[in-house]
Amino acid sequence: MEFTALFLSVLVVMAVSWWGSHRLALALFSIALLASVATYLHHATDTLDLSF
Amino acid sequence: MNRSIGVTLNVIGLYGIALVLAAALAAQILLNELPCPLCLLQRVLFSMLAIGPILNIRFGPHPGHYALSLLAAVAGAVVSARQILLHIMPRDPGYGSALLGYHYYTWAFVGFTAAIALIGIVLLFDDRLRDDAGSPPAGVFADGAVWLVIGLTAINAISTLLECGYGACPDNPTFYELLRWLR
Repeated sequence: MEFTALFLSVLVVMAVSWWGSHRLALALFSIALLASVATYLHHATDTLDLSF
Repeated sequence: MNRSIGVTLNVIGLYGIALVLAAALAAQILLNELPCPLCLLQRVLFSMLAIGPILNIRFGPHPGHYALSLLAAVAGAVVSARQILLHIMPRDPGYGSALLGYHYYTWAFVGFTAAIALIGIVLLFDDRLRDDAGSPPAGVFADGAVWLVIGLTAINAISTLLECGYGACPDNPTFYELLRWLR
């Protein structure tokens, strides 16, 4: 469900970027990017079996 | 760099992003390979990569718009690099099938890295980025690119809803959750 929400939020950012105000587009982009990073951190829990 | 050339480069960039999103959807539909959570996140970030060019086409090229795409590309590179590392051990078959010898997440890493390099090159040569002469007129070529990317993102939203349903997406999806639920 969170990925559907992310795609929908990106759609909203695209629509605002094309038809809406510049400042609102930047604000919504920031929110969508932060939500993407949060989703990544939520899913990136598997231990990487690596040694550097 | 001429202002109209800058806008044209952004339109071409949008068609490139549309090509990536369309190829991922084609693989999903034709090969019946459902994207995993990290794969979906990479698609989301490819879509976010398009927002900088959309703003550049509408309001005119500006370093801040390129910065948005740069942030999305860095996030996408991190996500795809993590997926590469998850499958880097010997004898790990990787996730999904390979295209020209590389898995989709490896191609995604190449794509995001190429985007970072291309944005850097454009910023290096575009000496009129701070030009505030007003938004250039968007022709059919530009309108088509924007509508294509918006349409592909909408299709991805629908396909993700069908795949994951109303719950969390499974790590290794093999069927469309919502379609099974509706039957």
